Amino acid sequence: MSIPVGHYQYDPIDRDFLQARIAEFEGQVQRRLDGTLSEDEFKPLRLMNGLYLQLHAYMLRVAIPYGILDSRQLRKLGEIARRYDRDYGHFTTRQNIQFNWIRLEDTPAILRELAEVDMHAIQTSGNCIRNVTADEYAGAAADELVDPRVHAEILRQWSTLHPEFTFLPRKFKIAISGSPNDRVAARFHDIGILARPGADGAPVFRIFVGGGLGRTPIIGEELFDSVREEHLLATLEAILRVYNARGRRDNIYKARIKILVQAIGVEAYREAVEAELAQMDLERYRLTPEAVAAIRSRFAVPQLEAPADADAVLAQQRRDDPLFDRWVRSNTHVHRDPGHIIATVSLKPAGGIPGDATSAQIARLADLADAYSFGEIRITHLQNVVLGHVRKDRLRDLWLGLSEVGLAEANIGLIGDIVACPGLDYCALANARSIPIAQKLGARFADTALQAEIGALRINISGCINACGHHHAGHIGLLGVDKRGEEFFQLTVGGRAENGAAIGTILGAALPEDETVDAIARLVDCYLGRRESGETFLDTLTRLGHEPFREAAYETV
Amino acid sequence: MKRPVRLEPGQKLVLTANRLLDGRTVWWCADGTWNLHIGCAALLDADEAEALLSRASEQAQRDGVVGVYDTAVQAVVPPEPVTVREKIRAHGPTVHPEFAVETEQ
Ligand code: HEM
Ligand code: SF4
Repeated sequence: MSIPVGHYQYDPIDRDFLQARIAEFEGQVQRRLDGTLSEDEFKPLRLMNGLYLQLHAYMLRVAIPYGILDSRQLRKLGEIARRYDRDYGHFTTRQNIQFNWIRLEDTPAILRELAEVDMHAIQTSGNCIRNVTADEYAGAAADELVDPRVHAEILRQWSTLHPEFTFLPRKFKIAISGSPNDRVAARFHDIGILARPGADGAPVFRIFVGGGLGRTPIIGEELFDSVREEHLLATLEAILRVYNARGRRDNIYKARIKILVQAIGVEAYREAVEAELAQMDLERYRLTPEAVAAIRSRFAVPQLEAPADADAVLAQQRRDDPLFDRWVRSNTHVHRDPGHIIATVSLKPAGGIPGDATSAQIARLADLADAYSFGEIRITHLQNVVLGHVRKDRLRDLWLGLSEVGLAEANIGLIGDIVACPGLDYCALANARSIPIAQKLGARFADTALQAEIGALRINISGCINACGHHHAGHIGLLGVDKRGEEFFQLTVGGRAENGAAIGTILGAALPEDETVDAIARLVDCYLGRRESGETFLDTLTRLGHEPFREAAYETV
Repeated sequence: MKRPVRLEPGQKLVLTANRLLDGRTVWWCADGTWNLHIGCAALLDADEAEALLSRASEQAQRDGVVGVYDTAVQAVVPPEPVTVREKIRAHGPTVHPEFAVETEQ
């Protein structure tokens, strides 16, 4: 395979830029070490290069643009985990990877290694436009209307080091999907974009603004229903300009675009954007069909060829092997090509750490991607990994390969597929540990038959109000709070990030850590006892209201 | 700026920071060095801590540490931090017993 499929191909200009940037950062690190730069001076510089200082060490966040990697890049991430970290990496809800045990003096060398495979850590922190996220099934799903990666790449190029937007009032997150089934949590982003084909075949974009989680969770509001492709960049530029000029800079908790949209109202925001557009040089920002085609041509397309009986082979294998069948049920999605299928690899082993992968697992995933999916890997916003184009008749071989490295858990979208932030085990901002609760819940519901019986149920855990674990968007959400130095968890129910986005409702007073898992088990029992045929947890919750669940959670035996 | 320190009976203060080179959590010892192990941390009374804290902060660059602050511990051997956060800093992430700071040289 000469050029990897799935992501944009860098050219020499991109590579020279990365090298210059690393040299600059290396100089900054040197000056920090010799004392020329104080910590206060150095901190914003290291953050611009993805380097945080956490509880036990530096943490490096590496960007995975729109979540897509090739096997060479993934292998490199595994090597970095082995050489510079403690043999593992953590995949995040923003489709990035974090290394938890990084040495400051190693960072320039790590960035050089990343640059060898066209990767970097730019825009993973700071008050800039962050890494753009996209649908993890992009270019593969049968239900997709527009492949969002081409426009995600256009947005990446537009936003990278955008001189006007390097010092926004606060961080800025954009997600884009081209499917009617929102798989990017579009309404929980500063800007969420849903693409669909327009009348003339060129895509049009529905744009939401002002969504977000954190201490003030807000569902994004529709700013425009149908922005034409040629005006996409101008429109985004205008939205950002209004925010940059009018967003609050006096109070970090009120600085996100969501607060501005709430303060002035979405109509006033729209008027401000339209006024900005009216005085902009639209020609300068016009996204021409030629420009789009040029970007599209930098994406290699997989040659999807499968034997005529691929589907029949898979069907037979599923009948022969109930364990495999269960995995196929939960961990695959329909591909646009009838001979292929999308496989999601769960990084949520029962009792394990959500989103963590060892360097050995990372290396094996790269090999399996080469063997079964054109060397292409996607990281999902739910901390799992997708192999997008697997031939149906080879799916079982892939599953066997995954089993060998403990990556064949059959729980995608089920109660074991828990999203959790690093929490107090690593994070300097945390109130409580997220991972141990996730591990206990994972172990409690380890039985995959039970998980299948429970059905679609998403648990999201954040260790503090910053909501990196998206607890507001969990069907069941857990928020860590600190009561006099002890860990407590506040429970929410009814949140969802998919279509019909909703913010979870707080059930009642926060529970002590050691009572939380039992309370959730009682919630689940309440649902199992009272659901009607075919209902999911959310269906039953909607039908019955919160009261029975509140009673179940707080019942003390 | 400095918040008033209220120590319960049996508690003392220790000074802590992160090492500049690798970010690791370190504790200030009576011999003036910074150590990975809380076992060697100097146990301080509130007024003692205040003076040492400002001196340690001034010397941070020379000593290769960042973000010096004080935190309360139970004055036992080895001293045990009062808050969950500082316990985790002292002993390492609870989810990786193999990384326990105690087992490091
Ligand atoms: C461990 C170091 C981390 C630090 C210091 C950190 C810090 C923060 C802060 C301060 C916020 C709130 C921002 C605001 O509301 O203005 C936030 C939000 C967020 N972070 Fe993190 N975070 C960390 C790790 C992570 C991880 C591991 C993930 C993915 C699992 C993540 C994903 C997010 C997301 C999705 C949000 C909320 C969405 C939104 O911005 O509204 N962060 N983070
Ligand atoms: S939610 Fe809080 S505890 Fe969790 S990673 Fe984000 S900042 Fe840290």
